[in-house]
Formats: sequence, C-alpha cells, structure tokens
Amino acid sequence: MICIQTPIGEHEVEKLQIGDQIEISGVIYCGRDAVLPKLVRLIESGDLNRVGVNVEGGVIFHTAVSPAGIGPTSSNKVEIEGSIPALSKAGVRIHIGKGALGSETVEELRKYHSVFAVTPPVSALFSDKIVSRRVAAFREEGMEALYQLEVRGFPAIIAIAHGKTIFGPRQRGG
Amino acid sequence: MLTRARIEVEVKNCLVRAGTTFRPDQLRAYRNAIRREKNENARWVLEKILENAEIARKNAFPLCDDTGIPHVFLDIGGGVSLPRDWLSAISNGVVQGLRAMPGRPMAVRGNPVERVEQSRGLFVDPGKVSPAPVIVKSVPGDKLKITVLLLGGGPEIRAKTYRVFHKRSIDVVLGEAAEWASSEVRNLGCTPCVPAIGIGRTHVEASVLMVEAMKDGSLSRQNSWEKKVTELINETNVGPLGLGGDTTALGTFIKIGPLRASGIRVVSMRPGCCFEPRKSSVVLG
Repeated sequence: MICIQTPIGEHEVEKLQIGDQIEISGVIYCGRDAVLPKLVRLIESGDLNRVGVNVEGGVIFHTAVSPAGIGPTSSNKVEIEGSIPALSKAGVRIHIGKGALGSETVEELRKYHSVFAVTPPVSALFSDKIVSRRVAAFREEGMEALYQLEVRGFPAIIAIAHGKTIFGPRQRGG
Repeated sequence: MLTRARIEVEVKNCLVRAGTTFRPDQLRAYRNAIRREKNENARWVLEKILENAEIARKNAFPLCDDTGIPHVFLDIGGGVSLPRDWLSAISNGVVQGLRAMPGRPMAVRGNPVERVEQSRGLFVDPGKVSPAPVIVKSVPGDKLKITVLLLGGGPEIRAKTYRVFHKRSIDVVLGEAAEWASSEVRNLGCTPCVPAIGIGRTHVEASVLMVEAMKDGSLSRQNSWEKKVTELINETNVGPLGLGGDTTALGTFIKIGPLRASGIRVVSMRPGCCFEPRKSSVVLG
C-alpha cells in the first residue's frame, strides 16, 4: 500500500506502477460528464484561477456527489475521457474512475506525467473517508457540479501509468 | 386485515434494506470468492466490496451511489384481503424509502422531449424517482409477498433482450446468453456480475422472467445450468473491476416461463453488478 498526499509532485507519479494499491489523503476534485468539458474550457481560456480552482498536483475522481454518496462512473465516456489530456497538461496527476481507456489516452497520460487509477463503486466505504466537501464550481449542474472533497485514505489501484495499462485491448462500445 | 399504513411502512423498509444491506448468500459468495481468488488485485477489490457492505449496514448508507430504479414485484395470494387503493400505498412506500435511504436525486425534469434531452435538469427530491410498472403474479394462499428490487444503471447499458434460434437445445440457448454476458462484462466495470436470464415467448415476458429470476434467485442455491453459465463467464478472466482473475461472475439466476411452438426463444439477459440483485421481501397478511 502506497500512501499519497495531495498536492502530488511529478517525481511521486514517476514511482507509481500499474497494479500498485494506493491510498490518497488531502484535497481531491469530483466531476463527470457535465462538468469536466466545462473545466477544460476554463483551462483553455485561462480563467481557471478566477473560479478558485487549482488542479496543479491534483486528483480528479470521475463521480457525481449526492446525498447517496460518491462512486466511480465509466471513465471511457466521451466527455470524461476527452477531458483527460487537457487536465493532465494543466497539472492533474491522478485521474480516478473505472473501465479501460483508449490507447491515445494512455499515450497522453504518459506525455503529461499523469496516471489513471480505478476503484470499486464502494460508496458506503468512501463515505467513511470523506472529511469535508463543498461545491467548487458550476453549482447549476447539481450532483454533477465540480466538488472539492477532503479525504483520508481514499483507496484505488493504478491501472494506467507510463504507457502501460492493466486492461486488455478495449472492446467496442466501451 | 392489512392497512394502507402497514403496506407503506413495509415497502419503505424493504427499499432501504435492499439498497443498504448484503444478504447472507451474498456475504457467503464473496467470502468464498476471496478464498479462491489467486489474483492479488482482484482479491483487494472483493475485500473492499465486503468492507463496503459492513459499513453500509452499520451506517444504513447506500451500498452504491447509483441507488437504482425501484422495481416492485408482488406475489398475491388469492385469499388475501387488501385495503382500498393499496397500489398507491405501495407507491407512497417507495417514495418514503427513497427519501429515507436516501436515493440518488436523479429523476429528470420536464416534458417528454425535455426528459429525453435532459435539458431542464434534475429533481432535487430523490422521491421523484418513480418505480417501474409493478409486476403482479397470482399465487396460492392468503398472503401478499412484496419484493422491492433496485436496478442500477451500469447493467442496463449492458443488458439485452433478443431472439435465439434454439435448435432444440438448452445448451445453445444458454450458451448464447452466456456469450452476450461475456462480451459485455469487459465494459461493465462493476464486476463481479450476477447475470439474470429470462426465457419466454415475448420481449415483455422474457424481461419479466428476468426480474423474477432476480427476485427468487440465491447465490447459495445454484442449479447445474446456472453454474454452467457462471463458469462460461468466468473463463473470460475479466475479473473484479476488469483487473483480471477468476471472479468475473459470482453466480447466475435463470427463469424459464411458458414457451410456444417455434424455432426461437426470446431471451432477456441483464448482467447485474457487484451489489446486485439489491432486493428485499416482506410477507404480509
């Protein structure tokens, strides 16, 4: 088990290998289909700091946040997987979700020194790991807004790192 | 005589139990799988799922944040006396259960087109997630058995109802259903799965039989055909969360209804996620 504290340095990411079990503590962001493309547009327009979001050395968990808790959604949906290159370039070090990603994304993650981790949909267990939560941006998206969570010991497994993937070839329809 | 108030509270409790607790057969199946599983990361996932079940039970918190669409299955004894407007009491119980659990507030607002396009956002009230049409079956006796099932979104993306040319062989029919499941579990993410299979005459009937298979099935009571489908899926080595290993399916539930003279059978296969079937029953009357 490797314990990771946010913000995460590039040198820490270099040490992570596929199959590593990790536990993350510190601040993470949560977003999915609705909000991640909006976040990418803020990065591209240079307005990210204006809304008080700092993704440098950060973690993004692909999930909604609701009274029913949090849990990974499929990261290979167009809006989510499509956001990974720009967010990695902007400094996100760990993307967390579920499901295999395409070979282009594997390469983009390598290029920008980021990794992809997966975690089971264990919402009750996650609820025990959340210290605090608040809406960080795009409140109008409801449970799909960008949330900032403080977590302690959030579990995941490294699935894609340094051009290697734990998954076999992706099937059609993923 | 059963009252509306009693029905409401029992349905509410069933829904909360279905969404927040593992049954003994699920706990046993996971413990056995952890003992057998040789892949270390696969075992880690299975252990986290068991740990999750323990916390969900202790804190009365949803097992999964996708709390699912409620489905109500009624086995009604011919001799049971029911109060006026008992069906609306069941609907009220579902609403109360969703608010109490709480369910995920994921009901889509607006007129039919706005709902399809999801252009007017979501209701904040989890009670707005209305149940699917109630399934009713007549049974002997003087009791009413209510089962609440919660069907998550992931398996809905991967489910399939279609005709199979049976060639007068159950092996052919179940082999094809196992093939559907095997090709879909790679993309499901939330493995290990528990597929449910209904075999009937029409698409509606096959789908109802698939839900009935979930209602009646137990992971501790598997017939030879159910074991065979499970083994075929496990040969994929997709494993928990797609990380590889021997535990891609924990078990299978099959229900075969009346059939017609034809070269085809209509088969409904829903792969079911790692928490499913999320169900709870109560017998009243």
